[in-house]
Amino acid sequence: MSDTLNLTLKVWRQAGPDQPGEFRVYQLSDVSPDMSFLEMLDVLNEQLLAQGEEPVAFDHDCREGICGCCGLVINGQPHGPLRETTTCQLYMRHFKDGDTIVIEPWRAAAFPVVKDLIVDRTPLDRIIAAGGYVSVNTGQAPDGNAIPVPQEVAEKALDAAACIGCGACVAACKNASAMLFVSAKVSHLALLPQGHPERKKRVLSMVSQMDAEGFGACTNTYECEAACPEGVSITNIARLNREYFKALFA
Amino acid sequence: MNWLVQGLSSSVGKKFVMGVTGLLLCGFLAMHLAGNLLLYVGEETYNAYAHALHSQEWLIKIAEVVLLVLFVGHIALALVLTQENQAARPIDYATRQSKKDTPVLIITPDNWMFVSGVIVLLFLLLHLSEFAWNIWLTEAVKGKEPFEKARIILTDPLSTFVYIVGPAVLGFHLWHGFASAFQSLGLNHEKYTPLITWLGIIFAVLVAVGFASFPIWAWATMETL
Ligand code: FES
Repeated sequence: MSDTLNLTLKVWRQAGPDQPGEFRVYQLSDVSPDMSFLEMLDVLNEQLLAQGEEPVAFDHDCREGICGCCGLVINGQPHGPLRETTTCQLYMRHFKDGDTIVIEPWRAAAFPVVKDLIVDRTPLDRIIAAGGYVSVNTGQAPDGNAIPVPQEVAEKALDAAACIGCGACVAACKNASAMLFVSAKVSHLALLPQGHPERKKRVLSMVSQMDAEGFGACTNTYECEAACPEGVSITNIARLNREYFKALFA
Repeated sequence: MNWLVQGLSSSVGKKFVMGVTGLLLCGFLAMHLAGNLLLYVGEETYNAYAHALHSQEWLIKIAEVVLLVLFVGHIALALVLTQENQAARPIDYATRQSKKDTPVLIITPDNWMFVSGVIVLLFLLLHLSEFAWNIWLTEAVKGKEPFEKARIILTDPLSTFVYIVGPAVLGFHLWHGFASAFQSLGLNHEKYTPLITWLGIIFAVLVAVGFASFPIWAWATMETL
């Protein structure tokens, strides 16, 4: 049994979208290093409830790193200090006894705070709705080998499709740009034959929706790639640019 | 034409224009540096080159207009993009830490493009006011041949400082700018991107060291004036 941790948590508290927010400091003792970060917050909330205080609101669903719901900026890093790891998959053993941990929501004009650490990420859904799909009549499941796709192309498409839409790229970017997200979706569909018919329309409408939502532009700083829990590569952003110019000029 | 204006005013489009203007300005820098390096070949060669260049009146006019368009475009977009990018995050984080691997430079050029750009612009304005518009150091260089004019201007204490700091900041700007432009144009390839990144760094260093060497040269050779 490893030693437990005593932590000081500086947590962003905000009652609602239009309310002013502030950091509040909580002491949490005897935290097991085997807890996940979210379990640690569960323990904090138990403690707050027992004290008659409002628990900290935070987003989560699967708690296994696949849904993209959980997203916290931990000590200034989206999803905390580990690469390719979601907040729910981050374990307390990566912190030291006596640490102060600053916990903030994603910060972007496009992601208004709903409450405490929860932000509204529906702008990402609207970008998908603008073109991040393939309009086909669904019939029988097609034969697996009916449409041949070269293996390396399939790999690239699946690497892009790994995006879980958590918004860490927006949170990490100094311009709160959603380019990595949009590029992952555009790449995923542009690389595969099924996505080709709507290729041009898709990239133009998704970029225009992204701009309308108030995300910033890419300055090729690549913080997004480093913060992405799925390791989505910025080569996708270059592909997004190429797709965009092809659609624009061709 | 509407499609073009609209297409280029999106976030992706603006970055495209930023990249194209930036790369064309890099081309100008390379030519400018090559011309200046003739200072090292000798007084006659440099003067001959300067006179030959300025005798091409039409060429100069066209080049000036093109450069003006490139600079104005690059700067105007920098202002617009910076404003939009800042508006995209009205409330900043209390603390911020990069998740990237340790950068080569401690102050990373990519986070200071606007500031370095502003400094380069100020440098450019002083440079033009001395060499092109003749509104600064006018008396001292009156009637002088280009070679001597360069030496007189570069040994003015304020100019010496500016002509060393200016190119250094310009190099800092290019360190990120050169390779970044390729990415903005969608040119990223696993084979060529590492090469482009290194080319950008080499170009940045060459520009910084090359241009900053002239004031040092001017001081070193001053006695022979
Ligand atoms: S809760 Fe689903 S990814 Fe973390």
